[in-house]
Amino acid sequence: MVPTFHSAAQPAAPARPDQSVESSQPTAAPCLVYQPNVDVCDCGAEVMLVADMPGAKADSMNVSFEDGVLAVFAQVPQRPLQGRQIGQEYGIGDYRRSFRLGEGFDASQISAEYRRGVLTIHVPRLAAVRPRKIEVRSA
Amino acid sequence: MPLYRSLPRSGLDFPLVELRDELDRLWTSLTAAPPLHGWGVRPASDVFPAVNIGESDDCITIEAELPGLDAGDIDIAVNGEELVLKGARPETQTPAAPAKPDAGAGHGNGERQASVTWHRRERGTGSFERRLMLPTGVDASRVEAKLVDGVLTITCPKAPERQPHKVAVRAG
Repeated sequence: MVPTFHSAAQPAAPARPDQSVESSQPTAAPCLVYQPNVDVCDCGAEVMLVADMPGAKADSMNVSFEDGVLAVFAQVPQRPLQGRQIGQEYGIGDYRRSFRLGEGFDASQISAEYRRGVLTIHVPRLAAVRPRKIEVRSA
Repeated sequence: MPLYRSLPRSGLDFPLVELRDELDRLWTSLTAAPPLHGWGVRPASDVFPAVNIGESDDCITIEAELPGLDAGDIDIAVNGEELVLKGARPETQTPAAPAKPDAGAGHGNGERQASVTWHRRERGTGSFERRLMLPTGVDASRVEAKLVDGVLTITCPKAPERQPHKVAVRAG
């Protein structure tokens, strides 16, 4: 069975910037929320997700896996430039994205690493559902 | 710029006046917005990396998002008012098999490579070069750059002759 990976509760992901504006907290001022660009790789024993999330901090990230949905959220602090801004080609905001991976994954063994602005998440499959190569013996 | 001149009266007696004022406000907010969010946005594939630029009295600051790169992967050259930013972003490394240098030719959903299946490949890879014209000459010898969490910040002190000169006023 080849699982399908699609963004959960979100439309097909456009390249950043997403221009989707939502409020992270009902009482807080509205802030920009972006969908990070993601590579999703099925390596058999595990599914690996690699997300570009520059400017985030590891301690302000939230990665969760519930009901087959892997959700990522990262709060990004604003970083105003020195002086007045004379050119702006991208915006700075939080990152949010989720993927429906389905069943058959070992939630307790999910690991995530943030390095050089890139978040890498390893979602291992349960041993019972990992692909297995069957050796064919000659009679 | 308002589309119409506002009338002095509004409220329940003049519901269209409020609607018109709201449209005026919306139009003004659109035309005053920076050309980044929403309409008029430049496609992300046009330029890489996108940059934000700030200017103060004594320096110009350039910020670019370059996730996945080490400081050694980036070359910055400053010549007069031109800044050249060069580098290369590596392929995503898979735990099963290291990515091949020429593997970028067939990007797309469902691409199979040995035992690895790519379901999404949205992160761009490969070499890039961006030339930026700075608004004023800078002191190339004092340009500094730092890369933190995938965000590159280049600080270019202005050339001394381009900095504002404060003139003291003496009492006569």
